[in-house]
Order: sequence, then C-alpha cells, then structure tokens
Amino acid sequence: MFQADLFRTATFRLTLAFVVAIISGMLLQFALVYVQMNGYELERSNDLLQREAALLVRETPEQLEYEVRERSKTDLRVILNGAALFDLDHNMIVGDIKTWPQGLTLASRPQRVWIDPPGDRAYEMRFLAMEVLGPPGSDHRILVLARSMHMADELRYITKRAALISVVPIVVFALLAGIFLSHRALGRVKEMHEAIDLIMDGDVHERLPAGREQDDLERLAGSVNRMLDRLEHLLDEIRNVGNDIAHDLRTPLARVRARLERAAATPHDAEYLNATIAQATLDLDQCFSIITALLRIGEIENGRRRAGFAQMDLSALIADIADLYEPIAETEGISLAVHGINQPITLYGDVDLLNEVLANLIDNAIKFTPAGGSVSVAAGAHDDGKIWLKVTDTGIGIPEDEREAVVGRFYRSDKSRHVPGSGLGLSLVSAILRLHGATLQIMANREDMKMPGSVFSVLFPAVSHNDISVTFG
Amino acid sequence: MTPAHEHGAARPTDPIARILLIEDDASIAAEVVDELKTRGYDVRHENTGRKGLDEGRSRKYDLMIVDRMLPELDGLSVIEALREQNITVPVLVLSALSAVDDRVSGLKAGGDDYLTKPFAMEELAARLEALMRRPNDSRATMIHVGPLSMDLIERRVTRDGRDVELLPREFRLLEYMMRRPGTVLTRTMLLEDVWNYRFIPQTNLVDVHIGKLRRKVDGPGEAPLIHSIRGAGFSLRVPG
Repeated sequence: MFQADLFRTATFRLTLAFVVAIISGMLLQFALVYVQMNGYELERSNDLLQREAALLVRETPEQLEYEVRERSKTDLRVILNGAALFDLDHNMIVGDIKTWPQGLTLASRPQRVWIDPPGDRAYEMRFLAMEVLGPPGSDHRILVLARSMHMADELRYITKRAALISVVPIVVFALLAGIFLSHRALGRVKEMHEAIDLIMDGDVHERLPAGREQDDLERLAGSVNRMLDRLEHLLDEIRNVGNDIAHDLRTPLARVRARLERAAATPHDAEYLNATIAQATLDLDQCFSIITALLRIGEIENGRRRAGFAQMDLSALIADIADLYEPIAETEGISLAVHGINQPITLYGDVDLLNEVLANLIDNAIKFTPAGGSVSVAAGAHDDGKIWLKVTDTGIGIPEDEREAVVGRFYRSDKSRHVPGSGLGLSLVSAILRLHGATLQIMANREDMKMPGSVFSVLFPAVSHNDISVTFG
Repeated sequence: MTPAHEHGAARPTDPIARILLIEDDASIAAEVVDELKTRGYDVRHENTGRKGLDEGRSRKYDLMIVDRMLPELDGLSVIEALREQNITVPVLVLSALSAVDDRVSGLKAGGDDYLTKPFAMEELAARLEALMRRPNDSRATMIHVGPLSMDLIERRVTRDGRDVELLPREFRLLEYMMRRPGTVLTRTMLLEDVWNYRFIPQTNLVDVHIGKLRRKVDGPGEAPLIHSIRGAGFSLRVPG
C-alpha cells in the first residue's frame, strides 16, 4: 500500500521525468563529443596525407620510387596505411595499393573511396592522388597515398561504450534519490492529511504543519492555513450575526407577544383591539424587513445578481433618487443638493441595485442629520476612468472606531438605536458595492465635535472594454 | 370588523369576479380564500400546478393568482401553458423568492404582476383590483377624473378650471393615479410603477410625495380627491 503510494507521489513522477531528461541530455552530450572528435580526426587525416605528399613530391623520381617501395615494407603504417606509384593509365608501378581505387581522381584534397575487395567486406579509406615526375625520359607518374578510417571507427566505439557505462549509475542514483525524496514528501503529506482530518472532525483551530514556509509544500500549507484563518474568522462572524439576528428579532417579537397577551387577558373595546392588532402588525413588519434584508444580502453576496449588469448612467440615477428624496428632505428641514451630474457618467452595473445603494445612503444621511443641516450628493469620473460618488451630510457622524463595523452585517451604532430600520442598510450597501468591485470609505465631514457629519465615498472601477462587450454580446 | 368593510367602494364591479388561486401552502391558501370571499369575489382554489392548469383551461376566470413553486408543474410553466392557448386572463404571480431577477422571469413568462411572500392582504387585494381594472386608454391625450383634467401634451392639470402647478414628479404620480381612479394604490405599487423602485425603503417616502401632491390638488374648501386608505395605501376618488 505504502509502496504503491510512493510511486504515485508527485515527487517520484518528477524524478522519473528528471531521469529521462538526464539520460537524454547525456546522450546528446556524447553525440556532440563524438561529432566533434570525428570531425577533428578527419581534419587530421587530411592534414597528414597532404603533408606527407608534399614531402614526397619534392624527391627525385628514383628516390620516390625507392621510398614507396621501402615504405610499403617497413612503415609501421601508423600514418600511412598504403602508398603506391601508378602510371598515367592507372597501372601500379610500385607500392602496396595493387589496383587503382575506383572513382579516385587527381586532386589536391584527399578523397573518400569505398574499397570493395572480392570476398571481403567493403571498407572506406581516404586517398590522395597527385601527379609526380617520372624517371628522366619517361612519362609523369601518379603518387597515391592512403589512410584508413580505423581511428574514426574506434572513436565511435569508445563513445558508445562510455555512454552506456555512465547511464547505468546515473539512472540508479536518480531513482534512489527520487524514492528518498518522495518518501519524505509522502511523510509530510501524511502529516497534512492528519491535520486536515482533525479540522474536518470539527477542530477548526488545527493548522497544517507549515514550518518556516521555505519550500513550495510549506508555502502551500501556509496559504491553506491563512485560508483557514479567514474561514474561521468568517465562521465567527456568522455566529455573531446569528446572535445579532436572534436578538434583533426577539425584541419586536417579545413586544407583539406581550401586547397580544394583554389584549387577550382582559376584555377590551374594539378600538383598543384594533390598535393592538395594528401595532402588532407593525412590529411583525419590522421582523420581516430584517429577514428580507438578510435574504437580499445573502443573495447579493452569492454573486448571482450579475445578470442584471449593463451600461448605465449614474447621473440619471442620482437625479431620479434626489427627485424621490427631495420632498422628504424638505419636510425634515434639510437641504438636499446634487453636484456634478450635468453630463452622463457611464458605469457598468445593476441599475436596481445601485438605486438601492444611493437610496440607502441618502436615506441614512437624511435620517441622521438634524433639521437645518444639509445633505449633498456628487459624482464624477477621475482621469484614470474610475468613477467616484460621494454622499455628504452634516449629521451626527460615525465615530472612527465604528466606521469599519457599520458596513458589517447588522451593526447599529448605539446612537441609532432609536431610529427605525432593519439596521442592515449599510450592510446591503457594502454587499452591493462589493459585487460591483467598488470600495466604500467613510470619513468625517468636518471638524465639529458635536455634528461632524459623514462622507460616504464610493469608488467604482473604470468601465473596461470587457464589460462593454459583455453588455452587447 | 375586517378592514375590507371600511372601503366597500373598492369592491369589484358586477357581475361577481371569478378568481382562481393556485397555491400549495394550505394555510396561506385558506387565508387568501377567506379574505377574497369577504371582499365579495368568487374564489376557487387548486393546490397543484397540474390541477390548476386544467381548471384554468376548462372555465373562464377573471383573474388568476399563481404561486411560483408548485408540485407537479411549477407556476411559470402553468402561465406559459395558458398563454400558449391564448388564454389572456390577468395573472398575479406569488413567490417566496424576492430576487429581482426572479420577478423579471415571472413577468416574462406572462405574469402581469408579481408579489413577494409574505404580503399584506391589503397589498394583495389592491393589486388584484388594479389588475382587473385595466388603466384607462393610454393613447388619450386628455384624462378626466371628476373635476380634474390632465393634458398630457401641454403637461397641464386643472381642477374645475383652476390651474394646478405640478413638478414633473408630481405630474407623473398624478397621471398614474388618474389612470386608475377609484383603485386602491399601495405604497409598493407606486414605488414600483411611478419611480421604478424594486425594493422598499424604510422611510415614509410615498406619504411625503402624496402629501405634497394632495396639498396642490385638494385646495382649501374643495372636496378631497386623494384619500388615504388605512393599512393599504392611497386612492384617487371622486366623492359621491
């Protein structure tokens, strides 16, 4: 079982691939060495033949004849393997090359010629044929020098053997190293498996052994650990949200229950009962609004809403919402101003959802700004194509340490406990903005201890070409 | 003492309108049937998509209420099947899903309006009524309701000859109301149809708008035309 695992590890497979690569590399190297050496040997052969010929040519015909004859008897045949003098009709005069090699011509460069002796295997030799003077009064002669290719053959043989001999230990060594490394990797993977099993059994605090994150496996474990940290954090958040929801639902439900109980306990007139029913309905509506908002946040966070994305005009949207909220701002004694929307601002997004963002931001701003204050909405495009949107008010503001929390699920500042609402408006806003790839920043509006006001600053990503093609595609 | 008796004037026109409810949740169905009967409708209830479709094909109904999630055959398929047979009865789709996409697909399938559970009975009743009383011919360039006259080309409104100066948004709101005189219009309907809103804001937005409009339309000493209907919404109604 363990054996089988070993051969299945990534490291082992990698080792095998490595072995193949090494062998290929080695063979290539040997081939290259062989080609180089062979070329060198040929070069040397030519050189030797030519030098020898140059020496012999300078001698007198008699001396040359003597030399050729003697050489054929005494030369150890290290440099020249054959030498002969032929007449111009290719008949041998003296020497140890009995017949004129077929295809050989007079030339200053040595030539390769295949010799095919009857009853023996054909072999290749290098020949150099050049005209020399004959004895006085007779014709010119042809000096033929020959050198065998045995050096090149030997070279080929030696390289082949060397290659074969060196492959075996290298393969064995690489395999052993592979098994050793895989074994180690397998051991570490086993530890990780054990840690994961613990986590799956519910021990959410367990982490993978990541060491100092020095190699890729440890870095991977480190990434997984960070992911687990994030998940654990989210789990905690969800657990808290669960508590918050329970708490926020409990309050209106408890009120309904108490009211109904009191109405049922003692006889009352119809008017009282009607009022009780109306109030109970209102409280239940608040419960529903919390549940609806939660469902919507879940829906948006699941990211299923990108279907409604299209190119839209933020200016027109702002104008519409401002139109909707102007009367209410007026009745609250707040001035609602709009800036920078004289020309269209193109944005890629979901009109209905962005409608909700704007409405929530303006609604909040109006809610938390006392009479006499002002709320302003402005938007525009930066040079880099990013689109900004700001909703500014002169209201009670949000303390710095609460700014991050207000966009979380269900957060309500103690200051806002008395203001009706699901408490989820800003959570919805941030969920929708996340879906749009936009960021939300909350700042104080001004240096005023009592009424610092707030600036809700949204930055949308630039409309990219992709988005547009999706829109029309 | 149900609220229904408070505004009997909104009762459907004779003869008694027949409504088919296709809903598998027994308790919601019972509530709806009760409520609609109290309001004087003739209601029939089926609890599966298959039975509902058969019933809808076999008899003529003035209106249908179809739940989206139904056993055997889902609500959208029921509506599509009816529309394929050229049965043009107005359909109100009910759904536990709030997604806007969902609403769109409901309307695309041939539904005429869409209501998310949980809903107030008043909301349901108002929407049914609005569905059965189709708005006035929208090609007309003049709309008249009692003493009110609206000129859609000149963008002018007069009451008994008195000019009523309206902002564009007020004009749109009044136009919507004048096309549906006598009908109860809920806050949600107004937000959805006049302002194209797909969600319900927390504040009393609509009330403020209606308040402003009312002050302009119903001058001092004049009989009120814009009425608030407690627990339901608003209605433009000519007295008498």
